[in-house]
Amino acid sequence: MYYREAGRLVKSFAADRRMLPLMEDRFVTTLFVVVVMYGLVTWLASDYIFSAILIPMMVLGVATLGLNIATGYTGQLSLGTAGFMCFGAFAAFNLIFRLDWMYIPLAFFLAGLIAGLMGIIFGLPALRIKGFYLIVSTLAAQFFAEWVFNAYPWFLNYTSSGVVNLPPFHYKVFPFQELTPLNDAFWHSSRGRYLITLTITIALIVACKNMVRSSTGRNWMAVRDMDIAANVIGISVAKTKLMAFFVSTFYCGVAGAMYSYCYIGNLDFMIFNLRRSFLVMFMVIVGGLGSILGSFLGAIFVYGWPILVTRLGDAIFGGGTLDTAFVENNSKIVVGTIIIVLLIREPGGFAALWNTSKQKLRVWPFSK
Amino acid sequence: MNTSTDSKNPILVLDNINLSFKGVKAITDISFNVYEGEICAVIGPNGAGKSSMLNVINGVYIPQEGTITFEGKQFKKMKPGTAASMGIGRTFQNIALFAGMSTLDNIMTGRNSFHKATFWETALNVGRVRSEELASREEVEKIIEFLGLQSIRKTPVSSLPYGLQKRVELGRALAAQPKMLLLDEPMAGMTMEEKLDMSCFIQEVNRNLGTTVVLIEHDMSVVMDVSDHVVVMDYGKKIGDGTPEEVMNNQDVIDAYLGVSH
Ligand SMILES: Nc1ncnc2c1ncn2[C@@H]1O[C@H](COP(=O)(O)OP(=O)(O)OP(=O)(O)O)[C@@H](O)[C@H]1O
Ligand SMILES: [Mg+2]
Repeated sequence: MYYREAGRLVKSFAADRRMLPLMEDRFVTTLFVVVVMYGLVTWLASDYIFSAILIPMMVLGVATLGLNIATGYTGQLSLGTAGFMCFGAFAAFNLIFRLDWMYIPLAFFLAGLIAGLMGIIFGLPALRIKGFYLIVSTLAAQFFAEWVFNAYPWFLNYTSSGVVNLPPFHYKVFPFQELTPLNDAFWHSSRGRYLITLTITIALIVACKNMVRSSTGRNWMAVRDMDIAANVIGISVAKTKLMAFFVSTFYCGVAGAMYSYCYIGNLDFMIFNLRRSFLVMFMVIVGGLGSILGSFLGAIFVYGWPILVTRLGDAIFGGGTLDTAFVENNSKIVVGTIIIVLLIREPGGFAALWNTSKQKLRVWPFSK
Repeated sequence: MNTSTDSKNPILVLDNINLSFKGVKAITDISFNVYEGEICAVIGPNGAGKSSMLNVINGVYIPQEGTITFEGKQFKKMKPGTAASMGIGRTFQNIALFAGMSTLDNIMTGRNSFHKATFWETALNVGRVRSEELASREEVEKIIEFLGLQSIRKTPVSSLPYGLQKRVELGRALAAQPKMLLLDEPMAGMTMEEKLDMSCFIQEVNRNLGTTVVLIEHDMSVVMDVSDHVVVMDYGKKIGDGTPEEVMNNQDVIDAYLGVSH
């Protein structure tokens, strides 16, 4: 590392409360976001990089962050993630399709609210039950989503195939869009969808960071670590749990909306199945419970590993040598092994590994 | 030391408390007062029901019979949240810190009742969030300084030694600015030096902030030293109640402590 905390004295509580207390961190992060993410990447990346790598990683990262709010920060297990993504995706579609004036960011926000309300409803059992049993009850959300969108084709605008293609629909991204040089075609392109996803993802990361560095996040963690003590010091455990469920499923709902609109470009409830809920849970475990950075590391790794294996295979053995079944099995084995190793050696996941190595670098070479 | 407890107002009145767990009696017919501004020690052999008594006071356990009157308000069923909002702070016998959080954050959670900002205000970091956070931080820093926790401010509490954890837990209770503190064996398992520190902290809080303290303690020298009022329990019953001197000369208490058969 090329800079450290040594000698940096924090001179006020306000400065100590900053999202990134180190000036260098702020500089590098801003530079990265503005110059790399909005600048170079937006300018140079190919359609493949946008659609198959960056957009899905960010979208899954948001879903993982959502689950992490409930599980990592508040200690409430859930297997309903894909179900809540599904609510969000269908809410966004119906808002955009049925309301002419709707804007994408507003639709995604409202989709998040609707998913959040479902989260409160399915989170109610959390007031009574804990741990393993809560998993069973959140599964209900998963099956309810799959059932309701199957049983009521209105939500799909009676599309007979059960899958709605989204890109042909007109959508607006912001007011007075027609006055800018960026037309509809741009916003439908992978570059435009990347910019939408990136902006929403950054906003959600900032909001999450704000919550966890304030009373909201402290209350979540207090309930997670010891709910009786939390109650005794005056935290309403019920309210805190429901709020965490709301925020968690809000994030999942927005992720679901982005999944349909920005990533796969269609609406299909079959995609938001239990497997996807498990996948997001693996991302949380691999990345690190209760870590924002970890949520994205987990999503990037679990989603990116099979792609990396395929690419490496292509590079080493020539294109198309590795068949998809091999890659799929390989990534199952690798991710599974990593989960087992992490659960035993480092329950904090990649995020904790990152922090440990930072700490080692800090004291190197004077200590190990 | 305070000898004029009679002339003082009771801040807490426990009347005829009975508590049993599935038929097993933990507390039988206990009544006593805690007076405003005093340090009241609850003593008794293991299993006497002392911790259960504290749990009844702040609503963790609901007694089958009896009433709890705090500052003139009578309750048949106290709730932990109500107790906290009325100004009853608490530490536990088996430390109940939030293991995944730092010392600072643990003490900050103690101030949760002062944080009125809603979660969406915190998400956007607007409105009262900043001022509330900074105000709390300032108060918490005073506590950190008072308890000498500066060097472990950002350390996860799970990695702290036992004695320090007990101190952090006291800090978290103090952060709520309680009117009454319930301390369950705050000095258990500590070295002599740590015990001295802890009893100094408790006495200072009591004197300087006027906080009423109810504490459970096994070390008699500490009890004699710090308390104004002692309640003795044995097998769920009250066998002594008075000044430390009175209690020490009480035959029942002497018997209980010398292990005379019942
Ligand atoms: N939650 C509970 N469920 C069942 N029995 C309990 C419970 N809590 C306490 N008891 C019983 O009540 C009696 C009093 O326990 P309590 O913990 O109040 O004693 P204590 O005086 O604090 O003892 P110690 O000095 O060992 O802490 C014991 O017999 C104990 O087994
Ligand atoms: Mg006890």
